[in-house]
Amino acid sequence: MDNQPGQTIQPDNPQAVKKVLCIEDEHFIGELYDRALSNAGYKMTLAVDGAEGLKLAQTDEFDIILLDLMVPTITGIEILRALRDPAQTPHLKAKIIITTNLEQREDVRADIEKQADGYVVKAELTPHELVGVLLKLA
Amino acid sequence: MEHLAHLSRQIKASLIIGLLVSNGLLIGAYWLSATMFGLDAWVILALLILLTIVLSLVVAAILGRLFMQPAKALWQVILHVSPSEHGVAAPNIESLKIGRELVANLASQVYGLANVVAESNKKSEPTEQDYGFAATNLPLPLFVLDAAETIQFANTAAAVYVGQPIAELQGKNIYMVLDMAFPSESTLDTWLKNVKTNNATASESWERVRLNVIDNHPTRLFDLAAYYNKDNPNHQETMLVLFDHTKQYSQDDQAISFIALSVHELRTPLTLLRGYIEAFEEELTGQLSPQMNDFMQKMSATAQQLTAFVNNILNVARVDDDQLELRLQEEDWSQIIDSAVANLSLRAKVRGISLQSQVAPDLPKVGVDRLSIHEVINNLVDNAIKYSGSSTSILIDAHLSKEGLVETTVQDKGVGIGADIMPNLFTKFYRDHRNRAQIGGTGLGLYLSKAIVTAHGGNIWVRSKPNEGSTFGFTVKPYSQLAEELKNGDNKDIVRGAHGWIKNHSLYRR
Repeated sequence: MDNQPGQTIQPDNPQAVKKVLCIEDEHFIGELYDRALSNAGYKMTLAVDGAEGLKLAQTDEFDIILLDLMVPTITGIEILRALRDPAQTPHLKAKIIITTNLEQREDVRADIEKQADGYVVKAELTPHELVGVLLKLA
Repeated sequence: MEHLAHLSRQIKASLIIGLLVSNGLLIGAYWLSATMFGLDAWVILALLILLTIVLSLVVAAILGRLFMQPAKALWQVILHVSPSEHGVAAPNIESLKIGRELVANLASQVYGLANVVAESNKKSEPTEQDYGFAATNLPLPLFVLDAAETIQFANTAAAVYVGQPIAELQGKNIYMVLDMAFPSESTLDTWLKNVKTNNATASESWERVRLNVIDNHPTRLFDLAAYYNKDNPNHQETMLVLFDHTKQYSQDDQAISFIALSVHELRTPLTLLRGYIEAFEEELTGQLSPQMNDFMQKMSATAQQLTAFVNNILNVARVDDDQLELRLQEEDWSQIIDSAVANLSLRAKVRGISLQSQVAPDLPKVGVDRLSIHEVINNLVDNAIKYSGSSTSILIDAHLSKEGLVETTVQDKGVGIGADIMPNLFTKFYRDHRNRAQIGGTGLGLYLSKAIVTAHGGNIWVRSKPNEGSTFGFTVKPYSQLAEELKNGDNKDIVRGAHGWIKNHSLYRR
């Protein structure tokens, strides 16, 4: 990634604080992402459970959803499908970025590629570098 | 034998009659010329000689024709039944003057023999019934489809394979019966659409097709072969044969699953380590002693190296299982080199090595999978770092080759490689030599790099001398060249970035 650790990152329009929903069951990762996103001017909400994450996502209050695939109760794939199904989620403004360390089967990956706006391997990016990806999304 | 003796008697009788007639005529002629006309002896002798010649010719012609009758009839019989001769009529045996019984007997033998041969030939030429039997009992699932891709015929193995009776399969659309998932964009459906427009006949095969089954049937994995012929009789346009490899492919998948799971387990703590290191770096900038700062950088570089290694393990498994899939897209090569150098500089720096790069201006855009090609550069530079010895610089150079390809070299001035080692360098698990005791490595990096570069349509090479250093080089194709080659790959969904992807446009290659 182009940005280096220690560099201050700000969203394009600092007036509008972007809201990020992070659906991630690993608390430590959530904690690190929260720190990096807050430093960059985002406001992050953490959901450590799939069902809770889906419920929050469907409120349509978020600009970006970081979605881990291996989360309890409802898997990330199921959350993704529910968020892309107009019957279950009539409107969703958020961009969905899959954040996972799991390697996908071909069919699952094809499914994700159709429905998500981005896909990152968590181990490949430091939290600071993830912020760089989110800035490019806008 | 009796017929032969009869023929012999007939021949003898014919000869006697012939001789008697000719001799009688000669005696008669002599008597007439001597007594009735009183000709001179010399004239009589001359007349008799002339008459003998004429009679001999006439008798020989008559008897020769007579004696040839049986042979000619037999010859006609044989040609009449011969499969290689056409239009030879059967002889009229009843009209034979001699040897009628013998010829009739032999002809009956020949006809009998010909019947036996015809019968046996008839058996070796399969009938429609034979074909039906073979298709029905073929121990491989077979489906025959019409132009609307409706099943016209399914054999017993097909019915067993999909768990439905044959009668229920016939008349159904094939996709209702076989819900197939193909490993790439090339599917039966897309292939059929294409061949129906462009071809009279065509055949194709696919590996690792997954049968998505309903109910509680286990998932099946198979290879599929298809044959298409627009002019097949009865509108049976397409034939499909399935070769089940569920057991074999499942084992492969399990092996991959195990590696994928292990990779996941390794990546989670790595994510955390890298996150915490970054947090410490950010918070403690300027507060650490130079040595602690150096340690922090080394810790960060080591975590990066471990992340790269984990990716190598996964990708080697993919290469070995023919599951490495590249998404080739138009990229600026200088940006890729800059990004790779930025990612690798910390790893070089903590080893006291500086990375220098020079990229020729005006390089064409290249067609590469960013993530994979980063791994090639990572592996080559990592290798150069490992084997730099006391040398302190590594040069990365990108330029246009004579063949019009974009060539990149990674040059170190380190320990070099002996000529005897070179042929094995790109082999899996081959670990060099150059200081095995001190230098780690799994022997996966160059093997993987070769696989990735080859999949890009490029070439990888090495030039080295012991104690003088090594230069590894590889080529990638300009995007224009690749796009022309892959113009049928029209996927426009995804761009894959160095650490993931965002939606856009790309080409595929396996």
